[in-house]
Amino acid sequence: MHRHEVHALKPIVRLLVALIVGAAVGLIYGWVVQPVRYVDTAPGSLRADYRTDYVLMVAQAYTSEQDLPTAQVRLASLGPQAPADLVTAALTYAVDHGFTRADLETLNQLAVALRSAAPAAEIQAP
Amino acid sequence: MKAFLALLLAFAIGLGGGLVYAWGLNPVSYTDTSPASLREDFRADYLTLIAVAYDASGDLPRARARLAQFAYAEPGPILAALAQQRLGQGWPESQARALARLAADLASPAAVASAPTSTPAVAGTATPTRTATLVPSPAPTRTPTSTPGAPFRLLAQDPVCDPDLGQPLLQVEVVDAAGQPVAGSEVRVVWDTGQDHFFTGLKPDLGIGYGDFRLTPGVAYSVQLVDSDQPVTGLTAGECLAEDGTRYPGSWLLRFQQPSR
Repeated sequence: MHRHEVHALKPIVRLLVALIVGAAVGLIYGWVVQPVRYVDTAPGSLRADYRTDYVLMVAQAYTSEQDLPTAQVRLASLGPQAPADLVTAALTYAVDHGFTRADLETLNQLAVALRSAAPAAEIQAP
Repeated sequence: MKAFLALLLAFAIGLGGGLVYAWGLNPVSYTDTSPASLREDFRADYLTLIAVAYDASGDLPRARARLAQFAYAEPGPILAALAQQRLGQGWPESQARALARLAADLASPAAVASAPTSTPAVAGTATPTRTATLVPSPAPTRTPTSTPGAPFRLLAQDPVCDPDLGQPLLQVEVVDAAGQPVAGSEVRVVWDTGQDHFFTGLKPDLGIGYGDFRLTPGVAYSVQLVDSDQPVTGLTAGECLAEDGTRYPGSWLLRFQQPSR
């Protein structure tokens, strides 16, 4: 009786092993060998350090151009958040990660300009 | 045989399930991307922003570090091409100027000499801004640009017969008072039925103070450097004689220099 049960279970075990091996191969192929490659991304998906650098570039451009609408349009590429919030988040990251005083001042200038500007119509991200 | 097929089927189901999970349900994270993965139009905006930020800060090491994120072997020509493209698409001229200036500064001998011999640490996974700020901040090496209020003077206006050019060109070279080439100088070209403009520095391989414009044979052009009060009128593609006796339309070379104060 006992021997019979073991023989009956063996094919099921084999199938389960094959299933697990197949899944493992699939995962390895999907995550390691040929993972999903994201091309054609938008600035909104940038990593935090790149986002901060993006905001810093916008702020640097703003110091020269003094063109707040252009700065707002550039920041809108990062997502639906309010431009001032994006700059504040960048400032926080910059403070936490030891950016230079000049960078912090540049970011702060843009933050102040955005905060003091009259609420504008919502800018749609491209 | 039947057992083998069942095993194969189970393996296939497992494989399919694994791929569905890896590609569909829980793919490699879509967040935390790098600028290199940006869509082409966003990438163009990003490169332009690097140039505009450089134009404002004059921090060439940081501009280099930012460009290194894209792993371009030669970013200069790419920036120059983008400047021309943006100019043609009607973007603000200040952007084209900034792109041209950065392209030119990347190619200038002083910039090349000061360029790091290794890939900037920002490449790859390093944090771009922090790494860039660690670089000491020497006095920025800037390509000379025109100074408002000091109009450039036409130094020379020479016909050029060079069959290697392939087409008749209006070639312009702009130098400052010290004889250093000036990038980003705007040149306006007007003819009977239209007008156009171009900038120096968009072809850094030919010199950062160089710019050119294709001439149509038989059309008379007026040319003026925006920073000059001396228009050059009546320029037409002349006729040149090749070694084999054939004739081809020639070019013009105009040289402008900013006078010493």
